[in-house]
Parts: sequence; C-alpha cells; structure tokens
Amino acid sequence: MKLKCAKLREPALLAVVSLLVISGWPTTENHSHSAVAAPRTGKASRARTAGGRRTKPPTFRLPPLKTPEQKLRLLELFRQSMPAFQIGRHVQFTSRDLDTSLKISIGKPSYLFARPVDDTTFCRRVYLDVIGRNPTPRELLAFERDTAPNKRAKLIDRLLETEEYARKWAHYWREVVFFNSAANKNRVNPQAFEDWLAEEFRKNTPWDRIVAKMISATPKSNGKLPNGKPDVGQNYGPNNFVLACENKPTQIASQTARIFMGISIQCAECHDHPFDRWKRIQFHQMAAFFARGKYYMPDQDDPAKKHLVKPKFLLGEEPPEVVANNPDARRVAVAAYLVYNPDNYWFARAFVNRVWNELLGDGFYAVDSLGPDAEVIHKLLVNRIAAVFRYRQFDIKWLFRLILNTETYQRGIRTIDSEDEYFTAVRPTRLQGPVVVANLNQFAKVPAPVAREIRSVFRFDPSIPQRDLEGSIQQALLMMNHPALQNSLRNSPLKKRLLQIADPKERVRQAYLAVLARHPTSAEQERGMRLFREAGNPAAGIDDLLWVLVNSTEFVTKR
Amino acid sequence: MTSWEPMLHVRNAASLEGRNPAALSRRGFLQAAALATGASPFLNALRIHAAEIRRKGKACILVWLAGAPSQIDTWDPKTGTPNAGSARPISTKVPGIQVAHYWPKMAQTIDQVAILRTVRGKEAAHERGTYHLHTGRRLGTPEKHPNFGSVVADKLGDPDFDLPNFVSIGQTVSSGFLGVRVAPFIVDRAGELPRNVKQLVSRAQFARRLRYLQEQEAEFAAAGAEGLVAEHQTIYQRAVRLMQSPRLKAFQLADEPQHIQKAYGSSPFQKGLLVARRLVEAGVPFVEVRRGGWDMHNSIEQRMPPAAADVDQGLSQLLRDLKQRGMLQNTLVVCMGEFGRTPKINSRTPAPGRDHWARNFCILLAGGGVKGGRVVGKTSRDGTEIVDREIQVEDFFQTWARLMGIDPDEELYTPSGRPLKIVDGGTPIQEIL
Repeated sequence: MKLKCAKLREPALLAVVSLLVISGWPTTENHSHSAVAAPRTGKASRARTAGGRRTKPPTFRLPPLKTPEQKLRLLELFRQSMPAFQIGRHVQFTSRDLDTSLKISIGKPSYLFARPVDDTTFCRRVYLDVIGRNPTPRELLAFERDTAPNKRAKLIDRLLETEEYARKWAHYWREVVFFNSAANKNRVNPQAFEDWLAEEFRKNTPWDRIVAKMISATPKSNGKLPNGKPDVGQNYGPNNFVLACENKPTQIASQTARIFMGISIQCAECHDHPFDRWKRIQFHQMAAFFARGKYYMPDQDDPAKKHLVKPKFLLGEEPPEVVANNPDARRVAVAAYLVYNPDNYWFARAFVNRVWNELLGDGFYAVDSLGPDAEVIHKLLVNRIAAVFRYRQFDIKWLFRLILNTETYQRGIRTIDSEDEYFTAVRPTRLQGPVVVANLNQFAKVPAPVAREIRSVFRFDPSIPQRDLEGSIQQALLMMNHPALQNSLRNSPLKKRLLQIADPKERVRQAYLAVLARHPTSAEQERGMRLFREAGNPAAGIDDLLWVLVNSTEFVTKR
Repeated sequence: MTSWEPMLHVRNAASLEGRNPAALSRRGFLQAAALATGASPFLNALRIHAAEIRRKGKACILVWLAGAPSQIDTWDPKTGTPNAGSARPISTKVPGIQVAHYWPKMAQTIDQVAILRTVRGKEAAHERGTYHLHTGRRLGTPEKHPNFGSVVADKLGDPDFDLPNFVSIGQTVSSGFLGVRVAPFIVDRAGELPRNVKQLVSRAQFARRLRYLQEQEAEFAAAGAEGLVAEHQTIYQRAVRLMQSPRLKAFQLADEPQHIQKAYGSSPFQKGLLVARRLVEAGVPFVEVRRGGWDMHNSIEQRMPPAAADVDQGLSQLLRDLKQRGMLQNTLVVCMGEFGRTPKINSRTPAPGRDHWARNFCILLAGGGVKGGRVVGKTSRDGTEIVDREIQVEDFFQTWARLMGIDPDEELYTPSGRPLKIVDGGTPIQEIL
C-alpha cells in the first residue's frame, strides 16, 4: 500500500495507523517514537509498560478516545491513509459511461428500453426525488421555457443545493434507522438525528465521516433532561444510531451490517447461516466490538452456559489486545474496519445501492440483502460505481449527479415484473407521507392533525423493496372521506383561484398543473369540461375535479 | 349495471389482465358504477360470502387490560397474608375455585372459564410486556413481529371480506412484518363508525366522482403504471365496499335490542365488548378490546372496585351472550394484561398500591374449545412463588394458536426472506385443551 503522508504532521503515527486496517493497531502516545509492531498479548503489554523508567521504551497506550472529537481525529488519520483517496483523483466515470456499461450489461436491443421522458415529467420526477415535493406550476413552467441545452443538469445542481434536499434525505435515513427500532421513545431523539444529518447533507460531508461518527459514538447516561426524560445523550444527533439499537451489542452489530453494508446477518445470532457464509461465531465477534465490557456469547444448546468472545470484524480483521480491551477504542476500530478498510467494498456499495433504489425504484439487490453476494444484478457495474464513489472520497452529491444525469434515470415508467427488465425503464413508486403532505400543501392548506394522519398512514419501510410495498384501505378512506381534508380542498387557495378563471379549459389546465404538476392531455381536458357541465355549478365541478385528482394513483406516485 | 359479478372477481382479473389498460378501464368503469348504485345482487353476494366465513369458523376476542391488573385482586386471591391486601376470596359456581370479591359476576360464569394462574413473564415494563403478550416474542430484534391478531387475520381471514379481518377497539401492537393487509383496523370509540367511512357527498355526486376517477386511472395505467393502478383500484373498491357494506352496522349499536345493551352496560369498554360480539357475528375473525387503567401503583383499594365492576359486568355478559347465541364454542375469549403486580403492597401516597411484577400472573380463557371450570397452576400462600406448573408466555401462545386452529410451527417470512415460526418454542397447555 502506497501512502502519501507528506502533508501530515504525524507521519509516524499515520504509518502505524495504516497498519490497523490490515493487521493490528499499534499506536503510541508519544509521536516522536518510531512505530513498532503491536504487542500481541495483554501480558506483553503490561511487561513493557512496567519496564525501564530511565530509557523510556516505546509505550503502546492509546491516544485518549473519550470524546467524539478525539475519536474522529484518529479516524481522520485512517481516512487520509485510504489508498483509494490517493489514487482516485483522476478516475473518470461519467453518467454516459454508466449508461453505456449498463446497456451492455443488460444486453437488450435499444427499442426495448423505455423512451426518455419529456421536460415536464423529468422536472416533476427530479423535484420529488431530490427535494421531496412537486414543482409549483411557476417552477415547472419556468423550466419548460428554459432553452439552455444543459438545463436538466443545471436543475439537478440547483436542487442539490437546497435546504429541502438536505431535509428530504435526512428524513430518509432517519426512517432507515428508526423504522423498526424498538427503543423506548424517551431514550432516543429521532428529530435530533435528522437535524444533524440534514446539517451534514447540506455541507455535503462525505458519507464515510457521517457513518464513522455514528458507529464510533458511545453515548453516556447523565441524569435527567430538563423535560424529565432520562439523559442518555440522545440530544446529540450522531448518538442516535446506537441508541436506536438500544445500545445492545447484538443489535448494533446486525444493524451496522444491514444498513451500512447491505448484509443481513441477524439470523447468525442464533445459528450458522443456512444459505450464506456467515457463521454464528462471526456474528458474536462483530457484536463484541460494541460491548461495554467483555462480551459473552450464549451457548447454543445450554442457555446457562456462555463463552467469552473477542472482537473480530466480519471480514476477518482483528484488533490487537490493547484496542480490544478498550471499549472506546473498539468503537473506533470497528468504524475504521467498516469505513476505511480497502477490502470492504460493501460499505460504499450499500450506499450506492440505497440511493439507486430510491431513484430508479429497484436496487441492484434488495437493500437488506440476505447475503454478501446473493443475487446482485449487474454486479460489475454496481461495484464500479461503488469504487468510484470511494475514489471520490464518498462525495454524496457526486453520486446523485452521476445517477440523475443518466439516460437510465431519465427514462419513462413501466410496470416491471421480472429482474431482466430492471433499469430498462423507471419503476413508478409510492410517495412517502411527508411528500404527499408537501404536495397537498402546495394548493390546499392541510391542518396539522390531518398532515400527521397522512404521514402515518402513508409511512412505508424504506428498507423494503419498493415493488413489495402495499397500499392500504385506510389510505383510500382517508383521501376520499376525511372531513378535515375534504374541507381544506373545498376551501383551498387553488379553488379560489380556479373560480376566477372564466375559461373552463384553462381551469382544467391550472388544476392539473397544481395537483399533478403536468399539463392535461386533450382527452383529460375534454373530460374535465364534461365534469364541470355535469356538476352543474363551477364550485361543485372544481370540488369534483380536485377530489378525482387527489384520489388518483398518480397523485400518490412518482412517475 | 345490474351485475355484481365483476367486483367479486376483481383480484384475479387484475392479475390476469393487469397489463391491458383498455380492459382495465372498462372493467373499472363497470365496477365503479356497480358500487355507486349498490344494486341488490350485492346482498346475495354477501350472503354467500358470510356462509363461507362461518365455515371457517373460529374467531377470537382479546380483552386487553392495559396497565397490567393485579393477579391477587383478580383470579388468584389470597387469604391470611398481608399480601392479600383488600381482596377477599369468594366462592364461584365451580366448587374449589375462588376469585377475588371484586368479580361476583365472573364467579358465576367461571364454569366457562379456564384460569392460568402461573404465567411467568419476562418483561416488567409496559411497552415490552405489551409486545411480548401480543406477539409471543420479546421486543428488541431487528424485525417487528406481528400482533397475534394479525396472524389470525392472515391465516383465518378471507382476503375478500368487506370488513377488516382484524379490528381493534383502542390502540394496539401493529401487524409488524405481515404488513398493512392484516394490520389492526383501529376504532377509536366503540359504537361509532370507524374513521373516514362516511360518504361526505350525495350518492349521485359520489358515483360521479368514482366514475371520473376510473377514467383518470385508465390514462395513468396506459402511461406505464398499470401494476400500481390495478392495485390502487382494488384497494379503492374494497374501501368503497366497506363504506357501503350493510355489515358496517356491526360497528354501531342502534339495532341492538335495548335489553342486550343494558346487560352489557353503557361504559365505553362494555359497549366495546358488545361491538366485538357483533363484529365476530358479522364474520370478523379477530377483535381486540382495550380497557386501560390497571397500572395501580397507588390507591389500589380505591381504584379496583370501579375498574373491576366495569369488566366484571361486561365480560360475564359477553360470555353469556356468546353462549346463548351458540357462538361460544367457536369464539375464543382471552382476557389478560401485559404482566401482573407485586404481591407485596407498597407504601405509596395517597394510598398504597402494587408495582410491576412479571414472575407470576394470570391469563383467563373461555370458549373456543377451552375446557371451562379449570385452574392451571398454583402459587404460594403469599403469592410470591410458583409452587406448581410454571407456564411460559410461549406455552400460552402454543395453546392460543392451537385453539384457533393455526399450526404454531408454520413459518412466516419477513420481507428480507427470513423464516420465523408463528410461535417460537413452548408447549401447549394440555390441561385446558
């Protein structure tokens, strides 16, 4: 491994630190000492520290790692030692390259791919994906009128700089972490988590730094908060990943693998995995990183017995004793093995796959895949994207730009049944509650209790493949009959505006623009006018039309 | 449109023709019109439907005493120990079985009831105990396990039924990984219609809206979203069917004879039990009725009488009513909370109470093939130890599944493909089967 350490003030430490990823973790408090291989046993370590006071041999004590800042400072050294970061500056991989590779990998003739979408559809889609709401009629029409040849790329760039982008994706990750969390509500603060993530996404903090912060956190209990809830550090955003796992080693281990590596290992808590490479012992070795003290694995047959297990990362990396015996250092070590290990391509790929899954409607594998290599489609391509993502130092917006600018992303929708059709078209997907609320609020003022109800009834687990999500009767009943929702439609600013438009044709057009963010087709225009006539008076006609549009599949779908 | 036919076959039709937008819209149009006019073949179809439900038979009413009732003040009374508190044992219809004096009416129906006195829980916090006793699993694994009611809805419910297969009067544990299809349909107030089922506009206007909605959908289906549109239509059809179902009346009490209403009582909980009976009668396989107020850390002597009187009257009447209607044999009634309460009385103010205790508590079962007039398990004189027949929560779930005719070893699949048995471990309680 070739390292460029010149810029670092602590080359010796860096050199040592870089070894951790491969073998062990020797480090010294006194940076002027030269690096020496780590002591392999606790006994050796004690013998040396007890030794010569006069000559002061190299010591192997860890740097202080109590505070998040101390941990992050050390992790930052690992970061700078990443070979990928050093060699990757000149690697080029464009949206065109992606399209070309994917087309070859899919291996179907061009006419089997869906056609590129028009500007209107693109505009609506990219607004929904990047910032979580429809474009307003004004934004939509302005985009249509724009004559710049690169206006799609420009729009993507602009949306990625908005506060709404940071919010939408912070909310997404909050749901990923909290959707199935069983943690007591008084001991977590999902909002603080989301706020922190939004801040990081706004600054475009690289993904590795964000995750390193979550994984290395060791929240401490500290009395009570002013509101009477226990203070377990939940108001510090990054602590909430660990807290959502109830601070339990087994849960942190399985969630770390699931969310950040796309590997499902929880079955291995109880038995060797039947279809996969993971062994029960590996699960518990992973969990051992997250224990406060020593970690014991329960005996498989006799619940009264248990066995001491030492931490070892899923891919086989073992920290030296001095690290293994220190809870704070263990967290830093596991974060480093997860994020900065050149062999761990799962880390970058899991992020790529989740973002791709949200944008295209399908992943290269289910986001909570059963095994490390099970059923990855177009594997070479996704590995390539993941590799370049790492070369780009986990630059999140780079990844968004890469995907959003592809032809693949900008194709029309299709109902996709089989895997070999994936990515020949975009899968239309269900909008999550906050997006439905935001879209309603653009033309009707939805009262807060209704908004809450919509958010809960339209809440989907973001880790379930989107093709498997189901609508519910409650959703239909709510959209059709909720008295307060209907009331806000009947008294909406949009209705007032439409009532002032004399031409029924224009009235229909404005309704479609405001509700569905597109123009009506000529058949729809005709039909709208027919509906107005049937309804008798303009107010009733508008009520009917808004009801129809709001209850349509399209209103709750990304197309 | 005079035929209800297309509606009943919509599920199959949608999957067969899902890729043909023209067929879809035509069919949709017919369905919408049929829905809107509510023609009489509707009723015939429902009758056939109800017969099918009855053939499947089993149903369950779960009476959930939220907050965890004290075992000593309910079904395991003590005497001659300070732990007895203010509860006195009274005799029941069955010689040798005693219950606390707060329950005179249940005492007279105890021949229908099996009491499990030695259930040993593992959770003594409300959220965790509630989860454990609803799912048979302990909270804190990566997947959310389904409420047992959702399992019953999944296994025994008819997917085409026009009412939900799992109704809960009051909040409860979710359907977990089984998803929205079998989620508890929550009713906030017993005796009232569920939320959002009332049509807000005239029949004619509603019909017009549905008709235009169908046309609108055809366009989007043709644009490439036919799969989602087909599902959306199915769901809307089911929602409209629910809105217009004559069985919706089961949620209300208006046509229930006065003397029956009076026999159940007029509290929200008692009304809930009557609604539960009506829903089961209408074909709903699982109904949960929640009654809070059992977390009596203090003033247990003062708070017990009104709470117990409420449940005593309602529950005893429910059993009597089910029996009189010939429904008890196929309707299992379970009454429990998330754990028990300390045998020792604490010294809290303003008056003493009992705290959380999961080491031994009671579950009550009746009907559905349970052998009545039985007590399983025995606790020590002071109520702090199990002296005979410890029952694990998993044993209870084994029993529950068997009583419902569900194979406890059958595997359910989580979305990530992990197979999980309906009940994890345990052995059925043979004494009451």
